[in-house]
Amino acid sequence: MASSGNKNINAKLVLLGDVGAGKSSLVLRFVKGQFIEFQESTIGAAFFSQTVALNEATVKFEIWDTAGQERYHSLAPMYYRGAAAAIIVYDITNQTSFDRAKKWVQELQAQGNPNMVMALAGNKSDMLDARQVAAEEAQSYARENSLFFMETSAKTANNVNDLFYEIAKRLPLMQPASNPSGMVLVDRPADKATGASCCS
Amino acid sequence: MNETEVHDLSDDADYATSIQQSSGMMRRSDSGKRSSSSDLDGAEIVYTKDNVAVHPTQYASERISGRLKLIKQENSLFMTWIPYKGQSSSSRLSEKDKNLYTIRALPFSDVRSIRRHTPTLGWQYVIVVMSSGLAFPPLYFYNGGVREFIATAKQHIVLVRSAEDGNVFLVNDFQNPLQRTLSSLELPMAVSGSNVPCTSLPASELPSNAHQENDVSVGSSERFQQNGRQQQKHHDPTRDLSIQILEKFSLVTRFARETTSQIFRDSDGFSINEGEKLDQSVPDHHPITASNESGKVPVASDPLELDKLSLAWGKPRQPPLGHEEWTTFLDSEGRVMDSQSLRKRIFYGGVEHNMRKEVWTILLGYHAYDSTYAEREYLTTIKKTEYETIKKQWQAKVRTDRSFSFYDGDENPNVYLLRDILLTYSFYNFDLGYCQGMSDLLSPILFVMGDESESFWCFVSLMERLGPNFNRDQSGMHSQLFALSKLVELLDSPLHNYFAQNDCLNYFFCFRWILIQFKREFEYEKTMQLWEVLWTHHPSEHLHLYVCVAILKRHRAKIMGEKMDFDTLLKFINELSDHIDLDATLRDAEALCLHAGENGAASIPPGTPPSLPLEDASIYPQPDDDIL
Repeated sequence: MASSGNKNINAKLVLLGDVGAGKSSLVLRFVKGQFIEFQESTIGAAFFSQTVALNEATVKFEIWDTAGQERYHSLAPMYYRGAAAAIIVYDITNQTSFDRAKKWVQELQAQGNPNMVMALAGNKSDMLDARQVAAEEAQSYARENSLFFMETSAKTANNVNDLFYEIAKRLPLMQPASNPSGMVLVDRPADKATGASCCS
Repeated sequence: MNETEVHDLSDDADYATSIQQSSGMMRRSDSGKRSSSSDLDGAEIVYTKDNVAVHPTQYASERISGRLKLIKQENSLFMTWIPYKGQSSSSRLSEKDKNLYTIRALPFSDVRSIRRHTPTLGWQYVIVVMSSGLAFPPLYFYNGGVREFIATAKQHIVLVRSAEDGNVFLVNDFQNPLQRTLSSLELPMAVSGSNVPCTSLPASELPSNAHQENDVSVGSSERFQQNGRQQQKHHDPTRDLSIQILEKFSLVTRFARETTSQIFRDSDGFSINEGEKLDQSVPDHHPITASNESGKVPVASDPLELDKLSLAWGKPRQPPLGHEEWTTFLDSEGRVMDSQSLRKRIFYGGVEHNMRKEVWTILLGYHAYDSTYAEREYLTTIKKTEYETIKKQWQAKVRTDRSFSFYDGDENPNVYLLRDILLTYSFYNFDLGYCQGMSDLLSPILFVMGDESESFWCFVSLMERLGPNFNRDQSGMHSQLFALSKLVELLDSPLHNYFAQNDCLNYFFCFRWILIQFKREFEYEKTMQLWEVLWTHHPSEHLHLYVCVAILKRHRAKIMGEKMDFDTLLKFINELSDHIDLDATLRDAEALCLHAGENGAASIPPGTPPSLPLEDASIYPQPDDDIL
């Protein structure tokens, strides 16, 4: 959950989306500034963290990158439970991946944390020649469903940092977020150090 | 065995002389063939002798000749004697006879003594006696070299001449200075009369109470020798096993002192026959671990401390199986004669890389253990044609198939091969199709096999067992994670309770480990080693689950001490990648598996992958409802 304290905020963020849409590539670009043409597929889930500095606060994202294949769909609730933000990724050159993204939105609306900040990312914006999903279509879908929308390219880095920056700005910083039902609360200090990650 | 007084060898003139002689001899042989005694990575051959023979009958003419070697692997010394291929002096001796006598990577920690015979007439020979009391048949040195053999062994292990018989050398496999010290302190007991090499050695004495053991670690040799002398009068049936534990202990250097005393303090926990399993009440014998890494939260003590458990149950790793030794498992037509001993051998040492291509096909079940060279060659040809036929089904349409687009464009031809094989597999097994993670399972196989068709069929064999990992409803993964939770409950109930209290009982943090068999947790070579070990199905088809338990137990103090919740735990487990010691983990896993015994096996429901699916179940059941 997003939690504020001395303007240092930890926020759990989960990436969801179809296989090959570029979830891991977006994370890799955001966290390490790198791009690998043939990123190996994610098994289960991978964890990263990266900090974004805003004027009013510093947001440390704890990022869960998940396996995209439909087959592993049933594992997703484990990863998005308790998330403060989600990025639903599709590939602008693949209509199927956009359809799949809509299903993720529906699922999160039904099952996820009601205060979750949701972003829709149309990735591979560098591959305009192969575009199958119009930006306008995605934009209007996003508006209808109160999502924040951006087209991104992990390859060229276009809009990647902006995407995370915008999410950070939209986090409900000052209101204490309610706990999603069914979540087990662990008794521990609120300022628990999460700096053990090797990525920050 | 003679119930004689113990001899204090330090003032035995003959012993002292023999030490001097042999050290002088060592120096002489040093200038000869031995090139280096320095520690190298992997195995080092420190002694080789040709024309060492076994006489299966009373007639020396019916001997089996072979090559004797001493091999040093890390801190352990191994002995091998491998008969020459196809050179029987008599037609009455079959390959099977040869196989019977072959000595494969025998660790000296399992050796009790070596008896040498150097008759003035006839050939010199040695008899090697195991800790168990069993002895190998005499090894005749047709080209001489018994003295050099003993001297070389002495450079790598603690070998002392028996006080009772100058031709018997007693083995204690102690390496480091502290252990050497311990070893010399304990000499009086370890040395006591084992001069009956060919018969079972009776149980004798070792001190089994804490008071005397505490004296051991102090280093007061005189006092200890006296204690040993007193002990010698008693008859303590735990002694033989204690010696074995001591020998195993000698391989674990860093826990030397305290572990020795603890083992003996807890000796009733270990004083059982090796065939029996400890019951669950045993763990309570162990004292609480005082130190706690995090130092923040008191952590429930481990009811089964791995270090001690592995000490008592886990065997040392061996050098990998090489070509020469591999052929000893085969008859003249290429059939594996004793698949169980082969699998056991591979379990303890893995396979040399250049042998993997041949061995893996059999280990994976693509070729049968009892297939001949010719049959394997024939099957390979048939299967190549079959593969091409399946592949043609997709070749025409795949260009437009976007589901594999993430493979496109890479210039690496191996990626194309990988893709081709996986696509062909998705046509071969329509129900399962292609799944993320399959390429992790295929890639080492392709790397080893090289050939496309052969890789495919090996992958098919592997997927017969691991296919359920990819079931759409995750049932294969669920059953394994469920079994894992049962095993942790059995082998570390405090950790299990911790997981239960923190909503971690689904064990999904181990998902990646199990789904792709630790492929992303180890570097490439280590992954291959682990897989061939797992494929032996020794000592359990589900050893991979014990590997999970072993790793979790190694980090239990941190997990509980830092009060990790599910997210933190998942992150922690993911970050263990590349930080897991494979050999130590395998030893722990073996020890846990043997310790758990039937209770462990009962925790794993029948049909749990990688067991073959139950007869009455469909191969890949795919119900629509999600379990989660």
